[in-house]
Amino acid sequence: MERKEIVHKLTQVFHKTFDTTDLELTDVMTANDVDNWDSLTHMVLIGDVEKEFGIKFKLKELNKMNTVGHLIDMVADKTGRLQVQN
Amino acid sequence: MVFTSLNFLLFFPAVILLFYATPIKFRWLTLLVASYFFYLNIEPVFGLLTALITVSTYSCTRLIDKAEEDSKKRVFMYINIAIVLLPLFFFKYFIPINEGIFDMLEMYDMRWGLPKISFLLPVGISYYTFMAIGYTVDVYNEEMEAEKNIGIVALFIAFFPLVLSGPIERATNMIPQFKSGMKLDPANFSPGLKLMLWGYFMKLVVADRTAIYVDAVYNNVALHSGDSILLASTLYPIQVYADLGGYSLIAIGVSRILGLEVMHNFNRPFFATSMAVFWRRWHISLIKWLTDYLYTPLAFSFRKYGIWGIVLALMITFILSGIWHGATLGFLVWGILQGIFLSVEALANKRRSKLVKRFNLKNNFIYTVFSIGFTFVLFAISEVFIRAVTIDDSLLVFKKILFEPGPIFLDKTTWAYSFIGITILLLRDFREEYFPEKKQFFNSENIIVRFGSYLFIALTILWIGVLNGGQFIYFQF
Repeated sequence: MERKEIVHKLTQVFHKTFDTTDLELTDVMTANDVDNWDSLTHMVLIGDVEKEFGIKFKLKELNKMNTVGHLIDMVADKTGRLQVQN
Repeated sequence: MVFTSLNFLLFFPAVILLFYATPIKFRWLTLLVASYFFYLNIEPVFGLLTALITVSTYSCTRLIDKAEEDSKKRVFMYINIAIVLLPLFFFKYFIPINEGIFDMLEMYDMRWGLPKISFLLPVGISYYTFMAIGYTVDVYNEEMEAEKNIGIVALFIAFFPLVLSGPIERATNMIPQFKSGMKLDPANFSPGLKLMLWGYFMKLVVADRTAIYVDAVYNNVALHSGDSILLASTLYPIQVYADLGGYSLIAIGVSRILGLEVMHNFNRPFFATSMAVFWRRWHISLIKWLTDYLYTPLAFSFRKYGIWGIVLALMITFILSGIWHGATLGFLVWGILQGIFLSVEALANKRRSKLVKRFNLKNNFIYTVFSIGFTFVLFAISEVFIRAVTIDDSLLVFKKILFEPGPIFLDKTTWAYSFIGITILLLRDFREEYFPEKKQFFNSENIIVRFGSYLFIALTILWIGVLNGGQFIYFQF
């Protein structure tokens, strides 16, 4: 999956989880930049992202995910691997 | 030898002198010796326990690093967690379990009266146990490498400023600091001493003074009027804040003087506008620990249930946090209440933000005051179950507050002193919260204001501080 496509899909997930329509994702964005993105909504977001892309994260990977850029890279990595397997 | 004892005021300068007289390479050793000297002077036998936890944690973390397969690493992590938790469970839950069994035996007329053996809870056990577990998990998660020098691990677990009551620090923060050359930097003295001075003020003036009134009322709930109980219940959260908050500040200040940065434990909790915000400001090191090592793994494994998975994780985390504080029904109720407050908030979060947006409440004065007051009331209600100890007494407290008002019991001196202390504390928090750059006292650029405020706080401590050794609430955990 191309990065652009991932960002597009992720944006929709973010909009749904955080109940907003005017959020534009950037690579350097962190939880501090988004209203209501706290330790509670974070796990809901992760669950929604997994469902949308049909992937699974490991807890260890979440600890290293500090920015939206990291999240995009990780989704790209996982969906890429899925395509290779298919 | 607690921070508020005269002995500590002799011990600490001696440590500083020794610390700086030691070559930089061996300063960790001086701190380690000082830490064991400190701990052994409180409870000699339990020094064995910290040593045992050190050896186990050192060995297991090294084995985690050496193991190649993840499954093996995980086994070593679980082994150490089990070993480290064992003494905590034994000492903490020994008495309640004993009593429970005795009660059962008595119920069936099988109780045979023999002399009881009583155990003391090793001081600080809950704190260093959590630090050791955190370190083990961090090594497993590859947040850091296992430390190869067992002395540094021993120092991390027994470091004297933190060993009695936290803040519950992380190995990722402390171990690199212990290993880097701890250089003499006079620039650390002034901020360290300021933290200590404010800590002593919170502990000796606010907490110990207020405790006199709260104890008087709560030790005899049946005799006091509803209004007196309401006043004592309002003061109790402030007392606990000043108690643990003050003690933490002394620990942070002591560490700072030694050149070590330790995380803060409280951040003006009574200006929180929701329970979620409150729990990011109250006993921060404990909540961060629980979030990282308990809540997050739980929420992660429940994530497919969406918001209800979060609710479940919150409930389990806070119930365990309650039981960690003590094996009583009161603490269990306290934990359940926190879980419920936070869950309801999480479920209503979207609606609340919509409301705030729609009526533009974000900077609305009345809305902010209401939110702060409401948050405080919720927390104060939960604290009744801790202070009143038994459920019957807790229910009596609420019954009396609601239905049996009456004249307020006032010991005028205590009340006046405690009022002065609380006012200074809350005004300072208010200024820090809303006008952090304005009206500085301890950090004023004007030397007269700066030294005047040190002197004022120091004199207030001598004038109205309780100097004959008040009890410290948080040692028992």
